Amino acid sequence: MITITEEDFNSGVLIDKARDRQVGGIVTFTGIVRDDGITAIDLEAYREAALQELGAIRDEALSRYDIRSVDIIHRIGTLAVGDHIVLIVVGSPHRKDAFRACEYIIDRIKETVPIWKKEYTADGSRWVPGEHS
Amino acid sequence: MKVVVRAFARFREVIGDVNTLDIPEGSGIQDLLIALAARSGESRDLLFDEEGMIRDNIIVMLNRRRLARTAFALTVLSEEDEVAIYPPVAGG
Repeated sequence: MITITEEDFNSGVLIDKARDRQVGGIVTFTGIVRDDGITAIDLEAYREAALQELGAIRDEALSRYDIRSVDIIHRIGTLAVGDHIVLIVVGSPHRKDAFRACEYIIDRIKETVPIWKKEYTADGSRWVPGEHS
Repeated sequence: MKVVVRAFARFREVIGDVNTLDIPEGSGIQDLLIALAARSGESRDLLFDEEGMIRDNIIVMLNRRRLARTAFALTVLSEEDEVAIYPPVAGG
């Protein structure tokens, strides 16, 4: 499942859904709004292109690693410190490919998926600079 | 011909969310950026540096496929194309 949503998610539900008889390990990554002295962040997406890109990243991971499933949920909208931003769930027969695939997916998301963050502080706001142009 | 330009994040705040631009047949990405830059000093500064070169941090998608910078000068636009312009991404 690939989703971009304004709603929060329940990691446990997604983890349980990744179970199947060939899966020996499930690795997850949960991104959370960190307290860098901010009051809130706004996440903005080019939704159609971001969904397409997340799907392409899932397909890349499925072809590169020995894994059975990839689920990605990315939130948009206004979030507070401690809120979930992103969840990646990878189900695999063996742990090593699950860990590697999960790291590959979050790194690729940060490189190419058209989503941006604007941080709000007591003094104003600023766009978080992207690392890859 | 008409093309749709969508801008995101910091670029949206300057250029606007969705714009329909009427540009001459045969125009390319570079022509489109010049047309956008002509609309305000702020747009110009966002898209071009002091030497008139397209800024390094501009990412362009044409019909939801990312274009390499080397393709900006070569890509010819068609009626109803959707061009998205945005800064480096920062999701995850």
